[in-house]
Amino acid sequence: MRQKYAYLAWLTLHLLLIVLVSCRDTLRVVAEGPTILPVSFKNFSQKAETALSAALGRKLPASNSAREALATYVQVAGVEAGYGYFAPNVPGGYGLIFELHYPEGRVEYELPLVSSPAAALPIAGFLDSIGRTPHDALREILVKTLAQSVWREHPDVESVRAILGSIRLPTAREFTEGKRESYEFLYAYDFNLENAPAKRNHH
Amino acid sequence: MQSVKTKLFGFLFPPSTDTWLAVLRVGLGLQVTIYSLSLRSDWISLLSGTARKVAEALLSLESHFVPRLGWFVASAAQLGIHEEAVLFLAWACLLAVGCGLVVGVASRFLAIAAWFLHLCAAKSGSFVSYGMDNFLTIGLFYLMLSPLPDRYSLDWRLRKSQPKNPQLLGFWRRVLQLHLCVVYFFSGLTKCLGSGWWDGSNVWRALIRPPFNVIDPEILVRWKYLFPVAGIFIFVLEFGYPVFIWNTRTRKIWLPSVCAMHVVIAVAMGMYLFSLVMIVLNLAAFGTGLFARTKQIRLQPERASA
Repeated sequence: MRQKYAYLAWLTLHLLLIVLVSCRDTLRVVAEGPTILPVSFKNFSQKAETALSAALGRKLPASNSAREALATYVQVAGVEAGYGYFAPNVPGGYGLIFELHYPEGRVEYELPLVSSPAAALPIAGFLDSIGRTPHDALREILVKTLAQSVWREHPDVESVRAILGSIRLPTAREFTEGKRESYEFLYAYDFNLENAPAKRNHH
Repeated sequence: MQSVKTKLFGFLFPPSTDTWLAVLRVGLGLQVTIYSLSLRSDWISLLSGTARKVAEALLSLESHFVPRLGWFVASAAQLGIHEEAVLFLAWACLLAVGCGLVVGVASRFLAIAAWFLHLCAAKSGSFVSYGMDNFLTIGLFYLMLSPLPDRYSLDWRLRKSQPKNPQLLGFWRRVLQLHLCVVYFFSGLTKCLGSGWWDGSNVWRALIRPPFNVIDPEILVRWKYLFPVAGIFIFVLEFGYPVFIWNTRTRKIWLPSVCAMHVVIAVAMGMYLFSLVMIVLNLAAFGTGLFARTKQIRLQPERASA
């Protein structure tokens, strides 16, 4: 019987964490909008999300052991994120293209390299991470990572320009009218030497 | 109070056979095997270099104790072993572990190894991991904690293991069931907050968005009048999951519908691995015995509590 109480205690804590994380992420979605809820919900959602983040130890200093223990548990149990896939709306995604400049003036275009169709999903996730990050330095490092793999395949290239754009998807009606997906320019990075910092351009 | 406690324990520790555990073990073993094989040519490029180091550095801001490939890479570097060799070894081990889980040899050890190796890969490659990795971690986490081996495993035949406590088997199945209910409830709730799921535009967007654009949009657009129905159907199916999955009659509609939804996601969006893990979790949690006649399970006598 004592063993059953131990299982019950663990399950209560485990489910509580799952529900708290899911609620926090749902509230974040409402706070960031747009959703079908009235705009007045945004303010409440922001406050509630902050409270739930605090309950999950996110407001404690990074060095706090309780925060680290909680973070470790949710990561190893796979419950660190909510389940709002493709919700509340499906984002357009991001595209990255490399402009390869050869010494003789020739220019070629290349997409991020993957060998198998299965790797297309992880790469799409990688591009989303690049596009969504608000940190310029992190974005540059991640773009450079992909640029390096292209460089390895084309060692005679003089410089590489990486162009990141967001994908604008047409609606079904626009599609029937002939409109197709388009790219909106976001950032461009010029890489000349492998270790030199990139020259960044953005719109 | 006593009756509430009895009901609660009765709900959380229902006697169960280990068939669901066999489904989970074989299903996740297949998942790990296919996952490894599908990434064989991109494994090293996805998990090596700066992206892995950045992902691990960001992970360290959360916790220093979450398993990662960097631990092995750093240790091996001291022995003069190159990063690529370590990553290849990790991939080979994951593949072997997946195959081992399918047949059920050293089930407990391999379940722990699969969870650990996959977690290392998912965390070190957090920029390239997605929902499938999350659910695979969840599934493997429950698998390694569940009372293995099951009677369909090779372990059972080789070691002539004793039957596990049916109530404990029931408890771990219940944990998986409750978790899936939370997953679908919040997935449905978040979807119904977006207007695009009501008017069907999100179904269209999900199907034409790269890299999920498996079906030609020229074909899809002919079915545009069905998108609102499909959008509402999806979130109703997910939102209603925690309610309709428990009753045996409604489960016979809900479970096949949810599995069919995942099959459509696999075929129409190319998300084979994601769909497979969701179907495995669903079948393990609610599928076994659904269409069979109910069996009477003999309870093991429990030790008297103090």
